[in-house]
Amino acid sequence: MKPIAGSELKPFRIASVSPQGMHAWAKFLHDPNPIHLDPAVVKAMGLGERVINQGPCNLAYVISMLQAALPGSSLDSLDVRYVDNVYGGDAVEAGGKITAVTPHSGGSTCACEVWLRAEGRGPVITGTAVVRIPDRGTT
Amino acid sequence: MDLPPPPQVAGYSLKGSQPYTISAAENAALCASIGVQPAQDGTAHPIYFYISTQVGMGQTVAGLCQVCEFNIEDGPMMAGSKVTFQRPLRTGQAYEVGGEIVSLVRKASRKLGMMDMLEYVLRLSLPDGTPVLSTTNVWVLPRKVPS
Repeated sequence: MKPIAGSELKPFRIASVSPQGMHAWAKFLHDPNPIHLDPAVVKAMGLGERVINQGPCNLAYVISMLQAALPGSSLDSLDVRYVDNVYGGDAVEAGGKITAVTPHSGGSTCACEVWLRAEGRGPVITGTAVVRIPDRGTT
Repeated sequence: MDLPPPPQVAGYSLKGSQPYTISAAENAALCASIGVQPAQDGTAHPIYFYISTQVGMGQTVAGLCQVCEFNIEDGPMMAGSKVTFQRPLRTGQAYEVGGEIVSLVRKASRKLGMMDMLEYVLRLSLPDGTPVLSTTNVWVLPRKVPS
């Protein structure tokens, strides 16, 4: 897509966040925190009934949305807040909106609002991103 | 509300002792776990900004909490992340990790009671010192006050 300020980015949707995926992310992160692995621990801590997805995995959905919506782009910067949890089985959707486009030699730089929302509950990540798009990526 | 001072940890070094390398196989597994294809040009998924610095900093999450005199069983929560890239991350490339704790600020929260906001910065560079990225993470450490 040609980047235009005000345009929405194509959403990236996960129909059901996988508890098995959280086991894989525990290994990627070298972090065996049981709130991601054992619903009994989540319940004992009063945090709900289902395992909680790792925050960086939630952020990876947002980054993947940017990569898919703006092919050929590279991420310059990202600034996000984690405002809620994603639980096993949740449906989530990453989305965004271009807020400014700055042309430069060889391409353009896009400032975007980005978010991840859990179906039925609202935002779980909010923030901003700046991506660099080469001319070949703007067709 | 008078709060006791938090542990004085600003400036604590988070320099990794071993280089961190993103394996192509792990990058492929990570991409599969979120339903995307790995890049064909040798670049890694950008979320490795977080993984490479966090794993490579020479402290586990539990260890970092311990530095702040906080028990990980009390449930640290990620509050925010920032990153600025100087160049894309690549699989098979060794990276050096450095950084330090910026601050540990104690606050009274209506929801959580006494809590600390932990902010730390981590920098990734090539072995020759060329900067790759800088990231700042903020965690909330809810302090259990003995009753």
